[in-house]
Amino acid sequence: MSEVHDQKNALEVRGLTRAFGVRKALDGVDLDLSERAFLSVFGPNGAGKTTLIKVLTTLLNPTNGTAQVLGMDVVSDAVELRTHIGLISHNPLLYPDLTAEENLLFFADMYGVEQPEARVAELLEAVELDHRKLDLTRTFSRGMLQRLSIARALLHRPEVLFLDEPYSGLDPHAMDILDGLIAQIRGNHTFVMISHDLDKGLELCSHALILAKGRVVMFERREDIDDAAFRQTYRSTVGMGVS
Amino acid sequence: MAGLSGRQLRAMLRKDIVMELRTKEMIMSMGLYALLTMVVYFVALSQAGSSFDPRDIAAGLLWLAFIFTSMLGLNRSLVHEKDQGCLEALLLSPVDRPVIFFAKAGGNLIFLLAVELLTLPVFGFLFLQGEQMDASSLALLPLILLAGSVGISGVGTLLATMSVNTSGKDFVLAMLFIPLMYPLLLGAVIATGGAIVGGAEGVGVFWTGMGWVVGYDVIMLLASYGLYEFIVGA
Repeated sequence: MSEVHDQKNALEVRGLTRAFGVRKALDGVDLDLSERAFLSVFGPNGAGKTTLIKVLTTLLNPTNGTAQVLGMDVVSDAVELRTHIGLISHNPLLYPDLTAEENLLFFADMYGVEQPEARVAELLEAVELDHRKLDLTRTFSRGMLQRLSIARALLHRPEVLFLDEPYSGLDPHAMDILDGLIAQIRGNHTFVMISHDLDKGLELCSHALILAKGRVVMFERREDIDDAAFRQTYRSTVGMGVS
Repeated sequence: MAGLSGRQLRAMLRKDIVMELRTKEMIMSMGLYALLTMVVYFVALSQAGSSFDPRDIAAGLLWLAFIFTSMLGLNRSLVHEKDQGCLEALLLSPVDRPVIFFAKAGGNLIFLLAVELLTLPVFGFLFLQGEQMDASSLALLPLILLAGSVGISGVGTLLATMSVNTSGKDFVLAMLFIPLMYPLLLGAVIATGGAIVGGAEGVGVFWTGMGWVVGYDVIMLLASYGLYEFIVGA
């Protein structure tokens, strides 16, 4: 394992292609991202952003090419890799007929978290839901669900966090909590975030990527980005449609 | 990893049972369907002549009811996971796919057995009341109920996973499930019929059917175990 973590890059993607039938959702994507970087991924609907995250989180196998996260291959090292990554999606991925605490304890068991009760209590407090821990999550608002979803994703202390439009549908208070949590763990985590919000994405990122038709249109470090040119490129890709 | 797999298996089983005890969706729908099927059987056979012996067809009626009832639960068990995106959360966790299979199949087995326990007394009351029965051979019934239900739950869980992403999942499940259930149905009906008829001959017939069902269970569970990772990945 130490060998794996000595790798400098958090992401190494080479010629990554994922096809659904004849349609290529990802078409020869190459990408390198160093550890503790924050990558914001932009692109129009159908550009392949969610497919990219699904491949990197082992939910989909690539059709061609390779992808490594923390030096682990997303296909051959999938089970081990899953202990090092977390996903916060716009879909909360929680059971509505379990309480907040039961949901987190369930996922703590799935990840083999040690001292699960203490970890769950700590995270419920961090996302300000400890007072609702015994309520069924079907009674939660969108913002509360998203906060609990953040706690679920952080349970096993992942090193790489994938965020699929995490701010979607959040009220300002929930956005502040998410901002605070990201700021807290920013220094020792790698982030990959899909966003349609250019301002937010550019504010947070150390690297930015624009995908269109499954291909990389632009991949730059934040300090090399001219905001006006970037926005112009993004606007031009939105009209490119799906792959 | 074996310790973690055990913890994951227990967690998934506990989660399914807690959610079912809270909502009672599967037990209620399966239980009501099974009871209604019994009533329909009763009405349909009510005009049979006095020479008709219900013991001749009791085993077939019973297993048909169980097979159709089980399809309701099988569909729901996976749809719950799929609808809320929770299947994705499960697949994101470091769980070996066969562990998910055994947990879901185990949950389905528990709920199916619960419905069978509710249905059997009603069936006995409606169809076998006053019939000459051999208590010692009837005591074998739990064995075939368990063996048959293991096969239904195992194969059904695999097929429900295959069909959950299809647009006509109920239809797809039925089209795959019923033909694959034919060998199990045959063995289970033979064994149950033997237990109901009783006597030395009935017990012999029971063990023939039981051997058939156990063989089916072993083959199909091994196949399901081997195929589950591929099916979930697809």
